[in-house]
Amino acid sequence: MDTTPSAGGRALPSSGLAPGRAARHPGRLLRHALGVGPFLCYLTLFLIVPSAAVVTSAFQSPSGGFTWANIRASLSGVYLQAYGGSLELSAIAALASAVLGTIIAVALASSDRPLLHRLVTTGCGVMANTGGLPLAFAFIASIGNFGIVTEMLSALGFNPYDHGFSLYSLAGLAIVYCYFLIPLMVLVMLPAVQALRQEWFEAAAMLGARRRQCWQLVGIPVLAPAFLAALMVLFTDAFAAYATADVLTQGSIGLVPIEIGSLIQGNVLAGQQNLGDALGFGMILVVVVVGVAYAVLQRRAARWQR
Amino acid sequence: MAALAGARRRQRAAAPRTAFRVGRTTRWVVLVLTGLYFLVPIVASGRYAFEGNGGAFSLASLGLVARDTALWDGVVTSLEISAGTALITLLLLVPTSIWINLRLPSWRRTMENLTLLPLVVPAVVLVLGILTSFRNLPGLLLGTPVILALEYVVLALPYTYRAIDSGVRAIDLHTLVEASRSLGAGWVQCFRLVLLPNLRGSIFAAAFLSVGFCLGEFAIANLLTFNTFPTRLYEVGTEYATEAVTVSVLGLVVTWAVLLGISALGGRGPRRRGAAGLPLLSDPAASGEARAAAVADAGTGSS
Repeated sequence: MDTTPSAGGRALPSSGLAPGRAARHPGRLLRHALGVGPFLCYLTLFLIVPSAAVVTSAFQSPSGGFTWANIRASLSGVYLQAYGGSLELSAIAALASAVLGTIIAVALASSDRPLLHRLVTTGCGVMANTGGLPLAFAFIASIGNFGIVTEMLSALGFNPYDHGFSLYSLAGLAIVYCYFLIPLMVLVMLPAVQALRQEWFEAAAMLGARRRQCWQLVGIPVLAPAFLAALMVLFTDAFAAYATADVLTQGSIGLVPIEIGSLIQGNVLAGQQNLGDALGFGMILVVVVVGVAYAVLQRRAARWQR
Repeated sequence: MAALAGARRRQRAAAPRTAFRVGRTTRWVVLVLTGLYFLVPIVASGRYAFEGNGGAFSLASLGLVARDTALWDGVVTSLEISAGTALITLLLLVPTSIWINLRLPSWRRTMENLTLLPLVVPAVVLVLGILTSFRNLPGLLLGTPVILALEYVVLALPYTYRAIDSGVRAIDLHTLVEASRSLGAGWVQCFRLVLLPNLRGSIFAAAFLSVGFCLGEFAIANLLTFNTFPTRLYEVGTEYATEAVTVSVLGLVVTWAVLLGISALGGRGPRRRGAAGLPLLSDPAASGEARAAAVADAGTGSS
């Protein structure tokens, strides 16, 4: 047993066996695990500790005792409405982006121009990271109250704001969210769509499958995992978004992140701190529930694939 | 010419046929509509920002921007935060990823899942946690933008880790370490002279990713009341709409330049290196692809 790091260096001819050997020598495994220590400490200190603080504080009264009062308050009145608004917005934005993104991926996959592919994937990579304030301002400048597109349309005699449309509504927010959700969907679905070969359908058809069965037995099982995974991430992305919603709604629509933000900013009464934490706990819970629901679906999808 | 055309035809014929049959017209209608949706807001904000009286091109709003000293303070703070975040990210992740791939390959899955954890905690909720758990610490931590850099490292983790890890996996780590160690290099020398140069591509990609993240993050900086580029942009927006759009157009251009830089790095690397016979750089670690990779991992990881 050599305690210097060079021990691994000398055992190199068999380095492919390293995991198995490490497992048989608990001491070595421990030493190897130490190398991950700094990373784990960092993650614990700056992610786990704050998250745990939110969860525990959600169940604490201002004096420190256990209570359900914060949770109950966070599920009533304006906060309950905020949950409704947030869930509706994220569901609409995620579903719309998932469907549109898949359509775009299919359209792109059916083209064989490498330049077009490169252009779209690069563009998607950039757009998927374009969120927050600049995006909100860009939409205000185009289809806001006095945006350029709004003015062009009203010059043509159709002002969308006279027909019930508003950028500062739930539907308006969903349109803006699609801007950074669709590109992500395209990037995730493109490889899956490209993997679905014409030959597989031909093979299935030769074995006597009808068009519907082709999709049921071949198409959907191939596409489902990527689609579901992306749908889950799109939903949580939209659910957590704060900057865009803050600029566009200015508090006119209740959304959970906005409510938490105003609780933090508003130097509130002593008990309100715990109320904010209760809302935060609720947000984490929603993300976890979506993740678990997804894992269950994924297991079913895996059964189709067998 | 004929040979060129032939090559082109062959290339087209070789393109894989997918199961979807989409007509030319449908395809182009879809792609053009998509292009419009993505370009109109950009073009509109460009016009909005640089339109003077009577629709002429004008740079008047740029003058206003240049005189906004608070904005420049915010830009400087944001750049400092970016530098700090990129540095911590690299110091933390490069050794960790190398160590995992060299000594603990069985932990790869675990690490991938761990790096996805930040996706579970929305930024707003993280602020609540920071305020609750670091409240009693001295003002040094919460009173300066240092806390932003420390937290941005965590929030960008799902993407930065993938950028670095894909680079580390792409090189022949064991052989490189064995070779340099057997030639008498110490660990520091091996790291500095052999591993770092080989990982240049993915290191740049991770650094750019974290810089791009820092230049755009608004929620945490705003709720902890720091003056960064995005928070000042927000304040400007509440007072002068045109100026705010101008600044955000400039901000977008800078961010896109950064992201396209990553994409170019990723795209160029393998070809240049590949010619020498050694595929030493990772596959494209473009930011969007790093995000897509994170999504794919979220897909397989939680089941």
